[in-house]
Amino acid sequence: MIRFVLRRVLAAIPIGLVVTLGVYALVFAMPGDPLRELAGDKPIPAAVLAAKRAQFHLDDPFIVQYLLSMKDILTGHFGTTFAGADIADQLRLRIPVTLKLTLLANAFQWTLGLFFGIYAGFKRNGWVDRSLLLTTLVLLAVPGLVAYFAAQYLFGVELKWFPVSGVLEGFPRSYLLPALVIGVLGFAGLARLLRTSIVETVNADFVKTARAKGLGEQRVLWRHILPNALLPVITFIGLDLAGMFGGAIITESIFNLPGLGQFMFQAIKLKEGGVVVLLSTLAFISFIVINLLVDVLYGVVDPRVRNV
Amino acid sequence: MTAQMTAHKNGEVLLKVDDLTVEFDTPRGPVRAVDGVSWQVRAGETLAILGESGSGKSVSTQALTGILEMPPGRILKGTAEYRGADLIQMTTKERRRIVGDRITMVFQDSLSALNPVQSVGTQIAECYRVHRGLSKRDALTKAAEMLDQVRIPAAAKRVNDYPHEFSGGMRQRVMLAMALALDPDVLIADEPTTALDVTVQAQILELIAELQAERQMGVVLITHDLGVVADVADNVVVMYAGHVVERAATAEALEYPVHPYTEGLLGSMPSADLKGQELPTIPGTPPSLRAIPSGCAFRTRCPIAIDDCAAEVPPLLTVGPGRDAACIRRTTLAEKEAV
Repeated sequence: MIRFVLRRVLAAIPIGLVVTLGVYALVFAMPGDPLRELAGDKPIPAAVLAAKRAQFHLDDPFIVQYLLSMKDILTGHFGTTFAGADIADQLRLRIPVTLKLTLLANAFQWTLGLFFGIYAGFKRNGWVDRSLLLTTLVLLAVPGLVAYFAAQYLFGVELKWFPVSGVLEGFPRSYLLPALVIGVLGFAGLARLLRTSIVETVNADFVKTARAKGLGEQRVLWRHILPNALLPVITFIGLDLAGMFGGAIITESIFNLPGLGQFMFQAIKLKEGGVVVLLSTLAFISFIVINLLVDVLYGVVDPRVRNV
Repeated sequence: MTAQMTAHKNGEVLLKVDDLTVEFDTPRGPVRAVDGVSWQVRAGETLAILGESGSGKSVSTQALTGILEMPPGRILKGTAEYRGADLIQMTTKERRRIVGDRITMVFQDSLSALNPVQSVGTQIAECYRVHRGLSKRDALTKAAEMLDQVRIPAAAKRVNDYPHEFSGGMRQRVMLAMALALDPDVLIADEPTTALDVTVQAQILELIAELQAERQMGVVLITHDLGVVADVADNVVVMYAGHVVERAATAEALEYPVHPYTEGLLGSMPSADLKGQELPTIPGTPPSLRAIPSGCAFRTRCPIAIDDCAAEVPPLLTVGPGRDAACIRRTTLAEKEAV
């Protein structure tokens, strides 16, 4: 087990280098000058500009800039943003916001997904099953942006059930609406996957064996069918959880939640390569860690993949 | 049944199947997989049901134990009496007290027939927990004892292993341990050795025979292997295209087959006499259940078929003491309708 974890972590190092280099190159290749973007219409004295450019190494070659950023990240000296905010402070404030949002969103998504998936799988071709298929198609067809704005307008502005944006009302009220929208948009896929997996498992030979043992239908479903049907779902949930950071960028911007996604959005707009790479590295590390956890969990649930 | 089973004549009739008919609903209309099948098994007796794939041998046992998917399957008529109580008329709840407890089953492919994410001990223990209400610990102890009885080395340790950690033969022993855990009266073994190599097959059959002798259990052995029948069965029921075509004591059926199909099967067994010659086969292939020939289903492949064979399905007639066959060309001796 320790060897397995170690091997995975070691394999992640070269991948991490390639990812950060690629992200940095992309930010570097974006058109526009970061400092002028920051200043807007106001004229900046040439001396200030030169000092800032030197502070952020903006005149060094690309690869030097990248290496300097990586040095800062690896040594923990995150420095300040172009606007002068302390990045370490920003992370301390923003990480909890993103965590609260994504965990709440995933809680909604999993609860809905598992409930409807199991129900539709066990009662195949019932009305829940049929409407689930329809719902999936509808939800897949609705672009996330439209759903966020529509929900914000309907439930925030018109009905006033939830705050329109911001985190002034704290957890969970400020997070409920964005998390619900993410959860509802995402649950259908999970439910369909689980439903299909159950339908496939129902015809497995070991289910026949379980029936031949004279077990009750409930026992067959919960002890024999479901544990096996859940295996592909664990992989799906892991990928989903690992990808939560990417989804946070749009949601946090629309609902004005001061999390990592919003930070990322601002940093990309300002061409702040250092911040973007730092956040990408964080996302990458969380991706690796979550995937590792999922693989370990998979081994717990499925004895066949242990010690692989 | 007027047929006299030669072996275990005095054993109690445990399971008696009569006129069982099973259909499947398919998009292109119903298909009859089992048509008027009758047989019985006594305590201590081994009854072999012999037939090719698609002959309905598995479907008939799955129908009577209630594990057949219904729909699309449907039992049209017939009875299956366990000690006089008809399993088919029973409610699911009543049947569950018998199937899995008094009548148990073993399947062909032990890798897919065992739950891959439960330890074998848990799966065997489940029988004790559900049917006997034992505690988890007691049930696991009994499961380990069962593994020991089917001669799995280091049973106490292996009880925590998972199915994929066993070899094919050992896994089939696990299946047997699970089926025999509650000391059943009847064991239905559905091609228990088909997935195994020949030496392991012999060991498993021997093990079944030993455990059967200890318990005076009736065994229904479903197989397509005439060699297996010859080795272990007291009586044999030969099935073709959903019908029983011959019913006899094994020794007699092998010596003097009455139905041309049985004869063809015997003729195509490799033996020392045929050394160097091409192995004879039955011409043609078994019919699709969708297009069973009129009259006798076997007539299109039969060397002695005449025009009359197409007229009607030949009845299963008694042709001698303890022998029934369904062939109008061969049952002229002592015609007496068998039930």
